[in-house]
Amino acid sequence: MKAVVVGAGFAGSLIAKVLGDNGFRVLVLEAGAEVNHDAVGRFRTALVKSPLKPYRTTAAAPSSNYLINTGPFAYSSPYLRMNGGTGTAWTGITPRMHPDDFHAADCGRGRDWPLSYADLEPAYRAAEWEIGIAADADEQRQHLPVADGYRYPMHALPRTYLDHAIASVVDGASIDGRELLVVGTPQARNGVPVNGYRLDGHQCTGYASCVPVCPENAKYTPLRTQKRWSANVELRTRCVVNRVHADEFGRVTKVSYQRYEDDTSGRHTRHEEEADVVVLAAHAVENAKLLLMSGLANSSDQVGRNLMDHPALLTWALMPQAIGPFRGPGSTTGIEAFRSGPERGARAPFRIEIGNWGWGWSAGSPDSDTAEFVAAGLRGKALREAVADRVGRQFTLQFEIEQEADPANRVTLDHARRDPLGNPRPSIHYGLSDYVKNGLLAAKRVSDRIFEMLGADDHTSYKPDEERYFEHDGEPLRYWGAGHGGGTHVMGASPRDSVVDQWQRCWDHPNLYAVGCGSMPSLGTSNPSLTMAALVLRTADHLVATCRTGPGAALAGPAGSWPPPR
Amino acid sequence: MDAFLELSAELTGFSADELRSTGLVEQYRALADGAPENEIIQLWYTGVWRGVIPGERAYVEGLAWKAAGVAAPGTRAPGFGSWEQRPARSAR
Ligand SMILES: Cc1cc2nc3c(=O)[nH]c(=O)nc-3n(C[C@H](O)[C@H](O)[C@H](O)COP(=O)(O)OP(=O)(O)OC[C@H]3O[C@@H](n4cnc5c(N)ncnc54)[C@H](O)[C@@H]3O)c2cc1C
Ligand code: SF4
Repeated sequence: MKAVVVGAGFAGSLIAKVLGDNGFRVLVLEAGAEVNHDAVGRFRTALVKSPLKPYRTTAAAPSSNYLINTGPFAYSSPYLRMNGGTGTAWTGITPRMHPDDFHAADCGRGRDWPLSYADLEPAYRAAEWEIGIAADADEQRQHLPVADGYRYPMHALPRTYLDHAIASVVDGASIDGRELLVVGTPQARNGVPVNGYRLDGHQCTGYASCVPVCPENAKYTPLRTQKRWSANVELRTRCVVNRVHADEFGRVTKVSYQRYEDDTSGRHTRHEEEADVVVLAAHAVENAKLLLMSGLANSSDQVGRNLMDHPALLTWALMPQAIGPFRGPGSTTGIEAFRSGPERGARAPFRIEIGNWGWGWSAGSPDSDTAEFVAAGLRGKALREAVADRVGRQFTLQFEIEQEADPANRVTLDHARRDPLGNPRPSIHYGLSDYVKNGLLAAKRVSDRIFEMLGADDHTSYKPDEERYFEHDGEPLRYWGAGHGGGTHVMGASPRDSVVDQWQRCWDHPNLYAVGCGSMPSLGTSNPSLTMAALVLRTADHLVATCRTGPGAALAGPAGSWPPPR
Repeated sequence: MDAFLELSAELTGFSADELRSTGLVEQYRALADGAPENEIIQLWYTGVWRGVIPGERAYVEGLAWKAAGVAAPGTRAPGFGSWEQRPARSAR
């Protein structure tokens, strides 16, 4: 059985591994170049330390900076086209979704999944062991069902000093009838292993630069999975797939790709590769682009639609005392109390991350603080003390707001504007509904209350001349892109209104799969990659089972290769 | 002590010894001798000179981080779990 996997990022590296382990011949075609080894140095000398800055990109395979925004709001979430994909630059925060998120339409807005939390739970466990997640099952059980007897492969990471300071005030207090509790966030970052798990990479030593680059190899990246690939898996970098071909019956036969050597030009050669199965794992936006360019899988007219992200609200303040930000991971805990509930009928729910990197992302600290004090005339000891006091007390709350699937938010092809290989650039039409805006506003009010409880000095401000600023109900607001794009090849129960089935198989093509966050009918309030990984492993098992026993076995369920609860 | 170092110490609130220990005095003198005060401070505190970070060390040794008593992100590994401890009083 020969599988072609398009994309060696997070999803593609995982599926290639399972298929290779189970006797498939796997060819992985990756658009980007090999990872550069000077990423840490490039990070240090980058003026703006944005997520893609340290990494090698090429003219032939542009990353998200070639997107064209046409909608009322900017879609501002990046993705990376390089071997390892966006999973190289990610933060590594890995909560599961809330059970209600799987029927988002019933509970609030958006679309229901053809799967339940219970259906996915075993695959969550498998993904947590494959990626290597540090968390405490009992702690997670405070807000989510986790299988009895299960252990995460690593103990929960120690909390930050800031987490303790916040928990000591807010734990047990209530806002709008919700009891607050600071809960550890599962992390794809090496901690202390439990019996039976061997650390891959080093233990997290607190470099505090996980996004975009961990100098310690403590954060999971897809390159780790690639190192575990069997000899059945072949990787070819610098190969941009630009068409998937199907025969008259809808069976996919081969893919076309463009191969380049030079990083700076569009010079390339053209190639084709035949396959028994094709798995698209090129990221939500690029998967949609590829399906649209190929004219495939779109009998429902849903390809490229339902683009979702987490519009994130940042609020920032000073604690009454020094808490020592910028030490260790970006966030080790959160507040889960607002992830679902009856309000979901009227406004988007949210998850709160307690942010440990000062006002770095929200306000550009400490450079911005220095500039402010210098402009105010501070010099010498007074300047030094002002910076010490200001930076030493900083923290940020990050609210991940659910965005519902809306067919009007979509990726299309801009045939008039092309990349250096001559492929159309993706055009994004993106907006925020009142449901989302109400969620952002509710989050801001919760933030106000938390800051008040903490006795924190609120420095949050959103100004009309800033990017992604808007007003809602007369209140100034702003959102940030969390990097969580999904929904663009949406999964559903019927070929009439969805692109892939519960196995991420395109309804229109029996041997074409589209995997990744693009399949997710809702994103809930969780960073999506763990759920994506669980779906990918579930699909891999299904493919293995189908190929062993013939297509009839497809609906018989997973092959059962997952680790038992431990 | 030379004039640039003396002025830098006065502007930044860091002693000449502290500034010397960054290993950057020569490079910064060549860049910023005679520059306006605010540019000299920005260079020492943030490692940015007229929109550019002139080398990794400029970022690593940024005085804003030192004032706050923490390492610039991605430059030093204080050790597993160190983030749980009460922050050391920042150096004054
Ligand atoms: C700054 C940032 C922080 C994030 N933090 C988190 C987090 O903490 N937790 C979380 O859950 N998620 C996080 N995410 C999201 C996470 O990175 C993505 O969900 C995940 O990487 C998606 O996996 P993927 O395999 O679909 O795409 P990718 O990882 O982007 O991989 C896609 C691969 O396909 C390749 N490709 C693209 N087009 C083609 C083509 N035409 N032909 C061949 N190959 C192609 C790309 O080069 C790339 O290697 C973050 C994202 C960003 C930007
Ligand atoms: S805190 Fe530092 S060591 Fe730990 S994962 Fe992040 S970058 Fe790596």
